Amino acid sequence: MRLPAPNAILGGAIIGIVVVCALFGAVWTPFDPLKINFAARLQPPGPIYWLGTDEFGRDVLSRLMAAAATSVWISLLTVTAAVTAGTAIGVLTGYLRGWTDRVLMAFNDALLAFPGILLALGLLAVIGANKYGIILALGLAYTPSVARVVRGTVLSLREREFVEASRVMGNSELFTMARHILPNCVAPLTVLATSMFGWVLLSESALSFLGLGVPPPAPTWGNMLASSRAFIAQAVWLGIFPGLCISLTLLGINLLGDALRDKLDPRMRGV
Amino acid sequence: MKISTASALGAMLIAATPAAAQTVTVALNADIRSTNPGVNRDDNTDAVVLHMVEGLVGYRENGTVAPLLAESIQLSPDGKTYTFRLRKGVKFHNGAELTSADVLWSWNRYMDPKTDWRCRSDFDGHAGLKVEKVEAPDANTVTMTLDHPSALFLDSLARTDCGVTAVLHKSSVKEDGSWDKPVGTGPFKFGDWRRGEYVTLTRFEDYQSPPGDKPDGLVGAKKTVLPEVKFLVVPDASTVKAALVSGAVDVAQVLDSDVPELSKAKSVAVGLYPSATKHTFLFQTRDPLLSNVKLRQAIAAAIDTPQLVAAVSNGNGKPNNSAVALTSAYYDDVQRQGYAYDPAKAQKLLKEAGYKGEPIKIIANKRVHVPSFNAAVIAQAMMQAVGINAEIEVLEWATQLDRYNKGNYQMMSFSYSARLDPALSYEQFAGPKDKQPRKVWDEAKAQELIEKASTISDEAERRKIFDELHKLQMETTPLIIFANGQEAWAHTKRVEGADPWEGKPRVWGARVVTN
Amino acid sequence: MLRFALRRILMAVPTLLIMAVSVFVLIRLIPGDPASLMLGDLADPASLADLQKRLGLDQSLPVQFFIWFGNVLHGDLGNSITSGQPVLPLVFDRFWISARIVLVAVFIASLIAVPAGVIAAWRQNSALDLALVGSATVLLSIPTFWLGLLLLLFFGLKLEWLPVVGYVSFRDNPTAALLYIIMPVMTLFLHEMGVLIRMARASTLEVLRLDYITHARAKGLSESAVLWRHAFKNAFGPTWTLIGLVLGNLLGGIAVVETVFTIPGLGRLLVDSIFARDYPVIQGCLLFVAFVYVVVNLIVDLLYPVFDPRVTAE
Repeated sequence: MRLPAPNAILGGAIIGIVVVCALFGAVWTPFDPLKINFAARLQPPGPIYWLGTDEFGRDVLSRLMAAAATSVWISLLTVTAAVTAGTAIGVLTGYLRGWTDRVLMAFNDALLAFPGILLALGLLAVIGANKYGIILALGLAYTPSVARVVRGTVLSLREREFVEASRVMGNSELFTMARHILPNCVAPLTVLATSMFGWVLLSESALSFLGLGVPPPAPTWGNMLASSRAFIAQAVWLGIFPGLCISLTLLGINLLGDALRDKLDPRMRGV
Repeated sequence: MKISTASALGAMLIAATPAAAQTVTVALNADIRSTNPGVNRDDNTDAVVLHMVEGLVGYRENGTVAPLLAESIQLSPDGKTYTFRLRKGVKFHNGAELTSADVLWSWNRYMDPKTDWRCRSDFDGHAGLKVEKVEAPDANTVTMTLDHPSALFLDSLARTDCGVTAVLHKSSVKEDGSWDKPVGTGPFKFGDWRRGEYVTLTRFEDYQSPPGDKPDGLVGAKKTVLPEVKFLVVPDASTVKAALVSGAVDVAQVLDSDVPELSKAKSVAVGLYPSATKHTFLFQTRDPLLSNVKLRQAIAAAIDTPQLVAAVSNGNGKPNNSAVALTSAYYDDVQRQGYAYDPAKAQKLLKEAGYKGEPIKIIANKRVHVPSFNAAVIAQAMMQAVGINAEIEVLEWATQLDRYNKGNYQMMSFSYSARLDPALSYEQFAGPKDKQPRKVWDEAKAQELIEKASTISDEAERRKIFDELHKLQMETTPLIIFANGQEAWAHTKRVEGADPWEGKPRVWGARVVTN
Repeated sequence: MLRFALRRILMAVPTLLIMAVSVFVLIRLIPGDPASLMLGDLADPASLADLQKRLGLDQSLPVQFFIWFGNVLHGDLGNSITSGQPVLPLVFDRFWISARIVLVAVFIASLIAVPAGVIAAWRQNSALDLALVGSATVLLSIPTFWLGLLLLLFFGLKLEWLPVVGYVSFRDNPTAALLYIIMPVMTLFLHEMGVLIRMARASTLEVLRLDYITHARAKGLSESAVLWRHAFKNAFGPTWTLIGLVLGNLLGGIAVVETVFTIPGLGRLLVDSIFARDYPVIQGCLLFVAFVYVVVNLIVDLLYPVFDPRVTAE
């Protein structure tokens, strides 16, 4: 039993804290995150409001805690959906090529060229402006990128010796794919997935900035960040804290992602 | 000697104030849609176009109508024929003199369905009023004859969204009749329009101002000293703020929340300007829940209007529960009687209404410069405080407008554009829902009163009608009007006199004081 | 190679077709219509119907689609509902403005990001690596609308080095134009760098573990030779794919930067058209973006073998 790598420990610790905060925030926050208090508008961080208050006098710390669960959950579901669907398409098209490739990639590229904002706006209008609308819209928007990256990796892998060897040994296509191709996609996928995690957290705020967003009244880090922008000079903490939350979460996920890749990447085994 | 001093001084002045530095830059949050008055337009378009064109009549600051291109207006004893005498010596931008033939040509163009004039239905009998005859007995006189007397005829002509029914020169359109560019009589001439970037206007040297010593709405002194004005498209409010501080933009509407910060900036001055815009919460009176008047009254009692207005306007706004604007000549003690904040009464009314915690959804949008979203957030909190299960749904503006036009909502945080005459203001939301689902207040009594106010011109009698309407509206609460617009505008200190009017920049009174 | 290119171009045809249909359907699913937006809160049903008729919106959707699509086949993308301008030249003008900024930003970003990623991988788990990964992560988690505003306040207001607002086209004044696009380019490039550093690092890490690197090292090649001759070249492959993706995403996502820096680009045009439900312009923009996208990815795929010798174009 080897000790885990230092980046795994650091990453694990950060993510652990985020998850604990999210769980904790769902049960208890210092103040009611939706409670409006005009007497305490735009208070800087201090002994009562540790991280200050926003333009409605709502406690920033409480909102960040309440937002953790929503934000992390939305990102997690979106990324999982996009990675699962994208990998399936990418591996299929990259490995089988031929007509499957052509047909699927035609759809994929059409979707890819669709700007995310429009896709999100359209789907949200149809599905309804809620959490699951955002997940579906962004998931669909990111799936084609995953498919493209996976397909690119598969294209470069299928000519390699070990894949050839597997084929020559008489292994079925499915087995070859699962045993030799998929594990090799893990490295680029972890990078993409962890980046996407950040994109999801942010694209919600970008949508909101352009006025296309559908900010639910419940706080998320993304919409806190977006609405803080107007107060950049008056109350900079409104933007810094949600920004820090996003940065830290991403850093944690990256470090964990690295560690995960080291563990799953076949060439790293036994090193 | 005298001459040489003067010319030397003149040369110095010219050297000190190069022409470019005299340009005043105004920020617009979106590009204009066209330069065609009253046809393809929005508020920004109106603002720019009204610098170039003028109509027979125009609004004053207090919402009454005054002659503009007309020198005098006479109404026949039967109240149906208006005789406009034109001001003498008024010239178009191309140098041609204004005559009654131009008025006639412009009017015929507007009434031609091919022009797509937004206000045609207000004058061709579709909306009740019909202009039966327009004639030019001589070069300086135009007469217009209506099918029945109307108190609103001149108001409708002066409406800014109708492009003030501007009198245009024939050369404004191309040979095939399509729009080219405005050749009007306004203080500025059309310069250059880079789509998505800016519009520039230049001073019209031969401009003939209506009488007055200072600008008054769209009338009063309008001769400008500025050689050029540039309307620059700056969509992002934070960029506008930075541009004002840096001096790249001279005049701009700013967010209420930016007022404290900008007031501190050395080079910028901020002013607050009232407008007749109405900020409201609409109720769908056909909703199974909200058809109950007690529930609507409960919501009205639950909302602390002064507090709400203070919160959405950064403490600058004034509450007003009436459809008569604060700036209107008809606003008096009766209109001051608004809803009283009374949570206990709200709870009692809820009980009487048999409310059992059903969710009530408030639709809002996040457009800049309207308090829609913020008002909804605060109303939600106030309603929750008395036990109403209020929810917010944020929609993009076009989607909300669609829901509004279809009447598809429970409650909606909505802002109405300015209508200066109270009868026009009431007409915006009152009417039969069966014919027009967008209407909010469907009540025969109200309808009757509004129609009466549209035909009677006597001020005292109209005042009585508006008072009655206000009381009726308070009772039935088909909507809660909570404030009129109170807009924050900033300008750099190098510019003076660029006060906006009714939410629109108005720069003919402006001058550059320092560089 | 040529056959491959030709086939890829043919393959683009169904992509564009799918795009055309789905764009049309999706934007009509979104509630709201241009006529009611033009009339605002004053839309009485009669004038609304009039306007809809004039805009051709009273016909059934399939009819509208075939009219539009027939015109597209003749190279006519229609006219804008809001401004009346023909769509194709409009889109083309705006596209060049955006493309210049995006291309410069991605070019600079990849010049810096790929070497940085390679170095981070080469010194994996060192302080240098953690610093590079850390800054990439921070860059990635600052939204462009924040980053842009920070730059604007710093370079525009505080230092007064760069103009805060406005846009000058290259045709009018190349030097001034350069000044005006520095900040937007910087915003985009800082943001994209986050993604690219991490991609390059990951690809290099993967390559460094391959047998032939071990062989190369065993053969006694110097570390720098190994790094540059083998690792760098191979790491570029996947990163190259991503650059293609990023280019496409940027064209969609540049709207934010264009809003902050008041650039009349394609992104802004698209967002404004969505707000105004200017159907012909939305359709035109998206078809055009799809077309550019297909071309960019074709180039990426054609050049892939150049960077990754293991892949043959066929």
